[in-house]
Amino acid sequence: MIRFIAVRLLRAMITIFAVVTFAFVVLRMSGDPAQVMLGPDVPQEAVDAFRRSWGLDQPLWIQYVAYIKSIFTGDFGVSMRDKASALDLVLQRLPATLQLTLPALLLKLVFGIPAGVYAALHRQSFADRGVILLAVLGFTIPSFVMGLLLVLIFAVILGVLPSGGQDTWMHGILPTVTMSIGGIGILARFSRSAMIEVMGQPYIRTASAKGLKWGDVVWNHALPNAAVPIVTIVGFMVGSLIAGAVVVESIFSWPGIGRLLIVSVSNRDLAVVQCILLIIAAAMVVSNLVVDLLYGWLDPRLRSNAAH
Amino acid sequence: MVNFTRRSTLGLAGAAAGSLILPRFSFAQGAKRPSITIAVQKITNNNTLDIWNEQSNVGERVFFPNLWEGLILRDWMGNQGPLPGLATEWKRIDDKTLELKLRKGVKFHNGDELTAEDVVFSFSAQRLFGTTQPAGGKTIFADDNKPVTAKELPAAIPGIGRRLWPALAGVEAVDKYTVRFHNATPDVTLEGRLYAFGSQIANRRAWDEAKTYVDWARKPVTTGAYMVGEYKPDVSLTLVAFDEYWGGRPPLAQIRFVEVPEVASRVNGLLSGEYDFACDLPPDQIATVKAVKGFEVQGSTINNHRISVFNTQNPILANPLMRRAMTHSIDRQAIVEALWAGQTKIPAGLQFPFYGPMFVEGWKVPEFNAKLAQDLIKQAGYKGDVIPFRLLNNYYTNQTSNGQIMVEMWKQVGLNVQIEMKENWGQIHDPAGVKGVRDWSASAAFSDPVSSIVAQFGPNGEVQQKKDWTNAEANQMASILETSTDAAARKKAFARMLEICEREDPVYQILHQNAVFTGMKSSLKWKAAPAFAMDFRSSNWAI
Repeated sequence: MIRFIAVRLLRAMITIFAVVTFAFVVLRMSGDPAQVMLGPDVPQEAVDAFRRSWGLDQPLWIQYVAYIKSIFTGDFGVSMRDKASALDLVLQRLPATLQLTLPALLLKLVFGIPAGVYAALHRQSFADRGVILLAVLGFTIPSFVMGLLLVLIFAVILGVLPSGGQDTWMHGILPTVTMSIGGIGILARFSRSAMIEVMGQPYIRTASAKGLKWGDVVWNHALPNAAVPIVTIVGFMVGSLIAGAVVVESIFSWPGIGRLLIVSVSNRDLAVVQCILLIIAAAMVVSNLVVDLLYGWLDPRLRSNAAH
Repeated sequence: MVNFTRRSTLGLAGAAAGSLILPRFSFAQGAKRPSITIAVQKITNNNTLDIWNEQSNVGERVFFPNLWEGLILRDWMGNQGPLPGLATEWKRIDDKTLELKLRKGVKFHNGDELTAEDVVFSFSAQRLFGTTQPAGGKTIFADDNKPVTAKELPAAIPGIGRRLWPALAGVEAVDKYTVRFHNATPDVTLEGRLYAFGSQIANRRAWDEAKTYVDWARKPVTTGAYMVGEYKPDVSLTLVAFDEYWGGRPPLAQIRFVEVPEVASRVNGLLSGEYDFACDLPPDQIATVKAVKGFEVQGSTINNHRISVFNTQNPILANPLMRRAMTHSIDRQAIVEALWAGQTKIPAGLQFPFYGPMFVEGWKVPEFNAKLAQDLIKQAGYKGDVIPFRLLNNYYTNQTSNGQIMVEMWKQVGLNVQIEMKENWGQIHDPAGVKGVRDWSASAAFSDPVSSIVAQFGPNGEVQQKKDWTNAEANQMASILETSTDAAARKKAFARMLEICEREDPVYQILHQNAVFTGMKSSLKWKAAPAFAMDFRSSNWAI
C-alpha cells in the first residue's frame, strides 16, 4: 500500500512540475508582456523600462531558474498589473469561484446520479428515454449558449433573476444552474451505463435468485460495483472545481478565478497565470490521487493488483 | 423621469450612510438624486485610476470629465477644443514659457484647496517624470519635489509622460494661484498639451499620505464632480457625488461602472433593467437594442481613425508603388456601409476638424481606383509573392471582418495578401519573421498635428522606433511642426507631411473614422459625447 501511494505521489509531483514548466515557456513564447500590458501606443523607452523592472530582459533560463527557486520558498511572484502577491490575488478570487462550483457540484451529484440509476433500473421505459434525451441535451449544449439562453428567459423576458454580477445570492442562481446542467447530463449517462453493466452480472442474478429484496440487491450489490466509473467522473469534477468556471464567469460577470485567468492571460500577467495553473494542476492531481485511493477501497481487487 | 430601482435605492442609502460616517466629506447629500449603473467591457487596463497609467479609451470613459480635471479642460460635449478649467486664464511669457492663473476656491475631494503646489507636484519627477530629462534641456525645480514617502512609480510612466511632455523642464509656483510652465524648447502647443489625457491635476497631500503608489492610484484625490467611492479591480468602480465641486452640485448620487466583458451580457443586462447604460456596442447590436421599447442607442464618430500601417522592411513593400497600389485598392465607403451600417465616415486623411487653422482643407484619402492600383502593381514588377497581414482578433471593432474584406479587395487587383492571426501586440510587433501590413488607430490628444501624425509617424513615433518606415523629409517636417512658432510654416509642413505619409511614400492608409455606440434607457435625459468620455455633470443631465 505504501508503494502504491508513493508511486502516485511521485507521478503527481512530476505532473505539477511539467505543468509549471510548460506554462512558463509557453507564456513567454507567446508575446512580450510589456507590449501586451502597455498597449500599442506607448513609446519604446516605456516598454524597455517595464521589461527591465520585471526582469524580462534576462535570458529565459535565468528567469526560469529564479522562478523555480522562488516557488520552493513559497513565493509565487508579484502581479505586473496589481503590484501585489500573485498568490494573494488568486486566493482573493477563490471564494467567489467556489460559491459557484460547489453548489453546482452538489446539483450534479443530487440530480445526475439518481437520474442515471433510475433510468438504468427502468431500461427502455419512457423515463429512461427521457433521461437520455435530457442528458444528451445537457452536455452537448455549450455553457455559453446555455447561459445566454437562461439569461434571456429568466432575466430579460421573465425578469425574475438578475443577468450578471455578484451583488446578492440571487445573482448566483443562473451561473450555478448553467454550470451544473452539463455535469448532470454526464453523470446521468455514466451512472446509467455503469448500472446497466452491473445489473447484467451473474452475481446480481445470484443475489436476486437467493431471495434478497430488490432494494437490497440494488443498494448492497449493484451500486458499490457501479461506483468505480462514477467516482472517476466525480473525481474529475472535483478537480475542476477551481478551473471549471472560466466561460460561465465571463458570461455572468462573476469575479472569480476564471475571469482572473482570462484577464491575466490576455495581459500576460505571468506570475498570476502561473500561480493559477499551479493551483489548478495541484487540485486535479490531488483529486486524482484521492480517486486512486478510493478505487482500492471500493474494489479490493485493484488493491491486490497494485500490491503485485 | 428616472425610475427608482432597488439598486438605485440601495445606492442612495449607502451614500447617505457614508455621509454620516464621514461628515467632513460631502457625500451625496441629495437623497433625491438618482444613481446609475453603466456596463462597460473593461473599467481600466492596469487596475489603477491613474491617468498616466491608464492611457486608453477605457480610461477616458471612467476618468473624464467626471473624475479628473486639468488646468485647461477639453470641451467634451462640443468640438473637443480647450475650455477654462482649473485655470481661468493663461498667457505666453515667451515661446518656451506659459503662465496660468488658477481658479480660486477649487476644492479637492479631501477638502484641500487647489494651489500652485498641487500643479507643481502633478508635473514633478516624483509624480511623473522620474529620472528622465527633458529633450533639449535639463530638469529644473527638481529639489522642490523630493518625495515625502518612498513610492515608486510604475516603470513605464516616466516614458509615457515624456511622450506628451518631451521638453517640459519644470513648473514654477509664482505665487499661490499662479504657475509657469517652462519648456526647454520653443513649443506652440503647450496650451494643447494641457488639456490632453494625462495633464490633469492631483492633490499633493493625498500622494504624500498614501503608503504605496497602488494605494494612491486606486483612490486618487482630484477636483472632479465625482470622487472615488469604491474600486474593485476587474469588477466595479463607484464614483460618488462631490457636492463641493466648483462647477456646481453633481446631478447623480453615484455612478457605478460594472465590468461585463461579453457584449451579449451587456445587452441582456440593459434590456432586463439591470444597467442604465451598456457601452461598447458593436454596430450589429444597434438594431437589437433600438427594437425594444424604452431603449435607445446613442453614438457618434470620435477623434480616432482606423488605419493600416505598412512595413518597408518587407522587400515587396519597400517599393512605394506597391504601398500606393494597396491604398487605392480599398473601397472604404463599401466597408463603412457593410460593417458600420453607414454610421461612420471617411475622414480627410490623418487630421481632425478641431485642428482649426491647422486643418488642411481639400485633403482626401487616396481614391478607390482598381485600375490605377493595377497599373501601379504592374510598374512595381510585382510577381505575386505573399504579403503578410498580422491581424488581431477584433481588438478594434469589426477588425477581423474589416481585415478579411481588405484582403479580398487587394486580391481583386492582383495582390496576394495573407492574414496571420495574432493574439496580442507583442506578436504583432515581433521582429522575428516577415512583416507586411498591420492594423492600428490614430487619434489626436489635442488640437494640433503634433499630437497625431508627428507623435505616431515622426522621428520618435512608434513606427520609426520599430523600423517599420522612415522618411528624411517627413522627419524634417515633423521637426518644423514641433519647434517652429511660425503658423504658416507649420501648416505648410503639415500639408507636406500628409502628402508624404499618405501619397508619395505611404506609411499608413486611413480606413475610416471610429465610432462609439452606447445603449441606454430612453427615459434618461443624457447625451453622448463624440468621444469615449461620458459626461455626467449637471450640464448634461436633466431630471
